[in-house]
Amino acid sequence: MRNTLLALILAGRAGTAAARGNIEVLARTCNSCHGVGGVSAGATMPSIGGLPRDYLSNIMKQWKYDERSAITMNRIVKGLSNDEIDALAAYFAQQPWVPVPQKANPETLARGKTEVDNNCADCHGASGGDPDVDAPPLNGQWARYMELELQKYQSKEFKMPHRKMRKAAQQAKPADASAAARHFGAQGR
Amino acid sequence: MHPFDRRSFLKSVSAAAGASILSVAPARAAAPKARVVVVGGGFGGATAAKYLRLLDPGIEVTLIERGKLYTSCPLSNEVISGERSIKTLQSGYGGLAARGVKVVHDEVTQIDPVKKVVSTAAAGDFPYDALVMAPGVDFDYSAVGGLSAELAETRLPHAWKAGPQTLLLQKQLQAMPDGGRFIIAVPKGPFRCPPGPYERAAQVAMYCKHHGKKKAKILILDANDGFSKRPLFEQAWKALYGYGEGGMIEWVSGVNGGQVEQVDVSGMSVMTTFEQHKGDVINIIPPHRAGKIARDAGLANFKGAWCAVKPESMESTAHKDIYVVGDSCVGGELATGNPFPKSAHMANSQAKVVVASLVAKLNGLPPPVPIYTNSCYSVVGHDWGFSVVALFRVENNQWVYVKDGSGISPVTFGTKEKPVPVPRIYRKMEAEYADGWLRNLMADCYA
Ligand SMILES: Cc1cc2nc3c(=O)[nH]c(=O)nc-3n(C[C@H](O)[C@H](O)[C@H](O)COP(=O)(O)OP(=O)(O)OC[C@H]3O[C@@H](n4cnc5c(N)ncnc54)[C@H](O)[C@@H]3O)c2cc1C
Ligand code: HEC
Ligand code: HEC
Repeated sequence: MRNTLLALILAGRAGTAAARGNIEVLARTCNSCHGVGGVSAGATMPSIGGLPRDYLSNIMKQWKYDERSAITMNRIVKGLSNDEIDALAAYFAQQPWVPVPQKANPETLARGKTEVDNNCADCHGASGGDPDVDAPPLNGQWARYMELELQKYQSKEFKMPHRKMRKAAQQAKPADASAAARHFGAQGR
Repeated sequence: MHPFDRRSFLKSVSAAAGASILSVAPARAAAPKARVVVVGGGFGGATAAKYLRLLDPGIEVTLIERGKLYTSCPLSNEVISGERSIKTLQSGYGGLAARGVKVVHDEVTQIDPVKKVVSTAAAGDFPYDALVMAPGVDFDYSAVGGLSAELAETRLPHAWKAGPQTLLLQKQLQAMPDGGRFIIAVPKGPFRCPPGPYERAAQVAMYCKHHGKKKAKILILDANDGFSKRPLFEQAWKALYGYGEGGMIEWVSGVNGGQVEQVDVSGMSVMTTFEQHKGDVINIIPPHRAGKIARDAGLANFKGAWCAVKPESMESTAHKDIYVVGDSCVGGELATGNPFPKSAHMANSQAKVVVASLVAKLNGLPPPVPIYTNSCYSVVGHDWGFSVVALFRVENNQWVYVKDGSGISPVTFGTKEKPVPVPRIYRKMEAEYADGWLRNLMADCYA
């Protein structure tokens, strides 16, 4: 009896292990651009491990259905089913958020802090580490990546659906937005 | 329960989802679960070695590679134009060693698929339970009369394996006079990095444009009649350097006599099917085939040049327990003209398929569902880049090229009837992503 039970549990777990194995196989394809565990090793590519699950699945679906512009990701996600997107979102959300240590010059940091305190902290937190439910953590995200994202928000050439974030970005001078990105990036220690 | 103990199985299946399939080492430091030998420490071999250790530290992994310092070919065209230092493309093998990979620097001389032994020039023999072959490509110098391996090292660098030849080609470009002609000879495919020669043309043109050689010509003599990302290249060439009649870059297709058959190094000229072309720099990329050691091992059973493998595992169709990844193999949806491109990302992706399948097999777990992805960025100007991505799945033991999930950067926006140019900011950002992509790819293989 106990043995049958154990066998059943094992079989069940083996099934789950297989399903999880498959999502890990899929998630590993992301590592070549986003790093193992979603911790990026390149300044222009975002870390994605530890981003909130709903944020992840939401933006991937926006790309898939052309509701959001991207340079590369929109092409990649079109090959994934919604179930795969949800599973990837759950997988990366379970990874720890690893802020990457980055340096910036003191002047930029001061300017960035002012901008963030005045115009960004409400939704992202002063360090970027205390975001609203619909926003991702920015503390120790790659600054260069964030500058590029902010350029997308500021440019008329990109569809960026989050109205309030778009508004906040468009109200910022490019140099202030960039300094804010440096400020958030430098929170990784 | 199979060859490993139940406790570690339970532990591993209940481990946090973030952990690897089998993150728990066997309780005793007993004999390894299996001995896997990896031949070649390029993108494919390095990935296989790293992920084997990452997924199952109970497996003993030996990586045999002749070189101590690996230089990435991706983005090496930027070294030729002086935009990038070659150091940013290099990695040693310390990262892999730190993961418990036994790194052996030696020449692999023989493979016995029956006795399952790999022999090396100096370090002796390595028996294996499973062998991952990732020796890259070999160049067939005999295909072009007058060309030799020695000339490639000294006068006519192909620079199709990044390293000293890349720097030699860079010097030759720098020494080229204004008004000089830079010839790039492209072999019949398949060759590695399908967009590579055209990216190189752009990088050379960029160098000339900004270094007082505005009258230079880049002549691409191509054995093929079309090329990867062609509309994107032609658009960028036109906009940045001038293309075709009177432009800096000219492309001659195979049917128009682009195939180079002979080179005369003393007269610095090449002969194509139709005519002779003089060049100040002659960059002949010789035709490719699977690495010699793979061919010698009897693995090259596809057109005598490439190694056929099984879609679900990348196991060779010629020999059991040998897996071939990277440039040496052939796969993909061949019938529709969508083969696996020979690229670094593809090699990385194939190696992950091997590892997932091998680790499952060695642990008595069901085979995982394989998935193959590719991406390749081309940088054609300081702030102009574009990319291609590809997705392959396996259905009924066949590779399926998934169109949704694959494709090049947009050539135009708007509609078919009313196309509008893609805003420059898209090309600009893509050039930036190329750098982040390479850093992550290198880290994914070597860190
Ligand atoms: C100019 C250029 C640009 C490129 N750009 C891109 C790009 O942008 N994106 C992209 O994805 N790909 C690109 N590529 C292609 C990419 O470099 C290859 O597809 C990739 O290197 C394949 O990896 P591999 O592991 O199969 O082979 P390799 O990287 O060639 O590695 C094979 C290794 O095996 C070793 N080896 C071979 N035989 C033996 C032996 N007998 N004993 C010991 N060691 C041995 C070799 O020393 C070598 O280190 C480019 C290539 C070129 C030439
Ligand atoms: C070829 C490189 C490449 C691969 C492979 C890749 N990505 Fe991306 N990813 C990018 C780029 C570039 C961006 C920036 C957005 C864009 O495309 O413009 C990005 C952005 C993202 C973001 C947004 C992060 C944020 O902070 O908002 C997420 C989420 C993401 N990718 C998930 C994934 C997942 C999941 C996979 C694997 C299925 C994956 N990516 C594979 C290149 C890649
Ligand atoms: C009203 C709330 C709000 C304000 C104010 C705000 N943001 Fe955001 N921000 C968000 C949300 C929500 C997102 C995610 C948007 C989405 O899902 O598309 C976001 C996304 C971002 C991103 C992209 C992160 C990533 O990983 O891709 C950056 C960078 C960013 N914000 C920076 C800033 C800066 C800098 C400011 C101040 C100038 C600012 N934000 C102000 C809510 C806000």
